[in-house]
Amino acid sequence: MTKTPIPRKRRKHTAFQVSYALCLPAFLLFAGFVVIPAVSSIYYSLTSWDGISKSMEFVGLRNYRDLVADARFLNALKNTLTITIALTILQNVLALLLALLVERVKVGKTLFRSAFYLPVLLSGIITGYVWVALLNYTFGVVNMFFKAVGLDSFAIDWLGNPDFAIWTVVAVLVWKGAGYYMIIYMAGLSGIPNELMEASSIDGASAPRQFASITFPLLAGTFTINLTLSLINGLRVFDQIVAMTSGGPGFATETFTYQIYSVAFAEGRQGYGTALAIVLFLVTLVFAGLQNAALRKREVQA
Amino acid sequence: MNKKKIRASDAAIIAVTAVLAAGFFFPIYFTFISAFKTNGEILRSPIALPSALRFDNFIYLWKKTNIPAAALRSAFLTIVSTLCMVLVIPMSSYALERRKTRFSRFLYIFFLSGMMIPFQVYMIPLFRQLKILGLFGTLQGPIFVYVSGAVAFGTLLYSSFIKTVPKEIEESACLDGYRSFQIFWKIVFPLLAPCTASMVILQSLNIWNDFLMPLMVMPANRPKTINVEIYAFIGEFQVRWDVLFSGTLISMVPVIVVFALLQKYFVSGIMAGTLKG
Repeated sequence: MTKTPIPRKRRKHTAFQVSYALCLPAFLLFAGFVVIPAVSSIYYSLTSWDGISKSMEFVGLRNYRDLVADARFLNALKNTLTITIALTILQNVLALLLALLVERVKVGKTLFRSAFYLPVLLSGIITGYVWVALLNYTFGVVNMFFKAVGLDSFAIDWLGNPDFAIWTVVAVLVWKGAGYYMIIYMAGLSGIPNELMEASSIDGASAPRQFASITFPLLAGTFTINLTLSLINGLRVFDQIVAMTSGGPGFATETFTYQIYSVAFAEGRQGYGTALAIVLFLVTLVFAGLQNAALRKREVQA
Repeated sequence: MNKKKIRASDAAIIAVTAVLAAGFFFPIYFTFISAFKTNGEILRSPIALPSALRFDNFIYLWKKTNIPAAALRSAFLTIVSTLCMVLVIPMSSYALERRKTRFSRFLYIFFLSGMMIPFQVYMIPLFRQLKILGLFGTLQGPIFVYVSGAVAFGTLLYSSFIKTVPKEIEESACLDGYRSFQIFWKIVFPLLAPCTASMVILQSLNIWNDFLMPLMVMPANRPKTINVEIYAFIGEFQVRWDVLFSGTLISMVPVIVVFALLQKYFVSGIMAGTLKG
């Protein structure tokens, strides 16, 4: 690279220094406002800090012992897992269906893709409120629709009924997120060589057969990405809960992230809230790890 | 016969897609029409078009609520934060990608580990830290948090893009006596424009739409961000759906306009964000 002999050593030295200078602002910000708070949250979780006092009392593992016995925590864990699993399955099924439709549609492809993708771009809080209006028991459009088509028994209080509220939230989350995974599936589908499809058509394979033997196996990598992403996003659901249910009715839709927020900021138990947050982090890691291991295996076999 | 069958299936696909798309788009359409209705109209005939094009809701918002001031703050936070990201992140990704040392590889992994940490995990210590640093209740506080929070995703995005930029240009600039800083800003940075566009668009959306962080750390006695003010407004006036929808429309419109103008960058940004697997 360098032809001049003398400055070589010096330039290498300065280049070395300069390259670290280029990284320095990013490093300081990331370390200072992400890593240090993330690591110190381990310590916070071992205290009974209330969010206001100057001193923090060290209580060892008490928060974690309380947590295991806390029915509210177990309920939030159950809700979070229900939402995450339902969301991962439904969102991916719908997203794949939408991707197959939009790939095949002959007119208005961009327009359809935009319609499915638009909800992804809007805020969870804002769209949450719009759905609160649409799902209202008395003047909501959803119930008007069910009454109009003669399904009066479906016209229920969607967000106020403890048995249905969580599934209503899941449905709104599917609407909000499916377009994102659709875009990723569309990219996966466009990577499948046309020759394969044509050859199998000539051999007389039906469309479902083609899907099962060609499309599905060749999308393995895309599945890995989408399932991992939807899982991580499912565990983090928060804005919609704030806007639509505040965790209610009762605690029927309270998720992990909502409990952390409510315990830490409404009840002033920030030490306990941090312990919950650490558990959320561990659950995220375990889920992502397990899923990746399982799906990678499938990719290799495919 | 065969041709006819294919055409019939095409029509069926168009019909199914169109019905689904209409369903997906309905809530956004509903926001648009409701923003121009009276509260009574929304309650009585929710799917009807507004009886007249009236702007009373927006006038009410302008005169009686914090929402316009909050929208301005949201815009300020969004613009300044993404600008700072552009000053900090591409430069560091370039250095990490071009000078491979054991330390730079470590730093790359270190930055990417941020992708695995949910905000809730570090928010409580972060808020205390902002108080200690005197950044709590200021406008700078959220900017620091946004820029720092974007380092992980930004590094991922830029590193995969920089790999595709040929080194020869930089090398000839190097022989011409440019120094590293100059090489980066004068020669490399312009080449990264598509990647910068993706990052700016995706991150500005996140900031504009953010809720929890600004709710917690912004000054209590002044307007916060648009979504936080809409949330506060609902807390106070639960039955003013008309005003709620006009506020919601103000929050949605910039997003929809940006998307309509810059569609292709959204797709490339999403795809880059999935490459980590």
